[in-house]
Amino acid sequence: MNITPCSIKTLKGLYDISGVEVGQHFYWQIGGFQIHAQVLITSWVVITILLGSVIIAVRNPQTIPTDGQNFFEYVLEFIRDLSKTQIGEEYGPWVPFIGTMFLFIFVSNWSGALLPWKIIELPHGELAAPTNDINTTVALALLTSAAYFYAGLSKKGLSYFEKYIKPTPILLPINILEDFTKPLSLSFRLFGNILADELVVVVLVSLVPLVVPIPVMFLGLFTSGIQALIFATLAAAYIGESMEGHH
Amino acid sequence: MKNVTHSFVFLAHWPFAGSFGLNTDILATNLINLTVVVGVLIFFGKGVLKDLLDNRKQRILSTIRNSEELRKGTLEQLEKARIRLQKVELEADEYRMNGYSEIEREKENLINATSISLEQLEKSKNETLYFEKQRAMNQVRQQGFQQAVQGALGTLNSCLNTELHFRTIRANIGILGAIEWKR
Repeated sequence: MNITPCSIKTLKGLYDISGVEVGQHFYWQIGGFQIHAQVLITSWVVITILLGSVIIAVRNPQTIPTDGQNFFEYVLEFIRDLSKTQIGEEYGPWVPFIGTMFLFIFVSNWSGALLPWKIIELPHGELAAPTNDINTTVALALLTSAAYFYAGLSKKGLSYFEKYIKPTPILLPINILEDFTKPLSLSFRLFGNILADELVVVVLVSLVPLVVPIPVMFLGLFTSGIQALIFATLAAAYIGESMEGHH
Repeated sequence: MKNVTHSFVFLAHWPFAGSFGLNTDILATNLINLTVVVGVLIFFGKGVLKDLLDNRKQRILSTIRNSEELRKGTLEQLEKARIRLQKVELEADEYRMNGYSEIEREKENLINATSISLEQLEKSKNETLYFEKQRAMNQVRQQGFQQAVQGALGTLNSCLNTELHFRTIRANIGILGAIEWKR
């Protein structure tokens, strides 16, 4: 009689200490909105990392690039190649957008996998990659939607909407549905992958704290990079798709 | 057991009490694994990244060197072309000078020839004029002489009656006789 609640309590305590906190958020109240503060904090850190490294790297540009500048030029070249293959000839104006998407997602994912966020305790929830939160990924996906609508409309004008009845008007509902499924799939793919990666690592750590999670962490690094690449590639592909076919 | 439970419960709940804090549990924060992962990443990634960046740098360097060489070659060609242009300009100047002197000489020759022929023409004109004058004078003289002879003949024809005839004859006879007498 006395043992059962005690054991239950013990189990609860054990569960709590090794518990995986999903859906626990650290809220800030800003103007009537509830903000997921842990996402904001990690986003700021990611933004600081990106801006700081870029500023340090290109502070003193050389004709023959030094190490940092060389690395960032390589990254820029990579992003330009990606946008060029996906968008086509008029990729120029979209390089900043694609690059922002790729770099932010990539650094977010890798920060979640590499930085020891859990050293810092929050009153609620825990710090993790910003892309671990569905709000971030939805925001990114909606930005992509807005970007490809803007690209199509600015390129073709109102005749952009002709693509909804192509190849036949019967496909109109599916074509309209596509505009909703695109951001949905983008955001859920990224969110699900990153959350799953981190969850697997956290669960494995809670079960076996040493050595065993390491391969999974490497897998997580790999998938994180791939997810960033996929997001950027798909965003570029959507933009290119909405701009193509104009004479 | 209860103490342990309590401590567990306490441990599980302490983050809710405070605000920000540091989690010093090395196992829970996964620090060791993260260190290993980051170490392996740096160990292997460094070589790959270094190779990649070195390749890129070499490519940029070779591109710059190539373009530098191209620029040098182009500059040399430009210099050569400039020298040739100078030479051609000099030649053109020479030709122009030659042409001018030639033209000048031709002009002089022509002027000389023309003036000579002009002089000759002048002379022949003068001669012609002289001859014309002479001829005109001769004509006038002849005409005058003819008129005088005609006048004299007319006068002779009109004035020569018998008595005068006789007288003339007589005079002539007298002259002839005088000539005979003298002999």
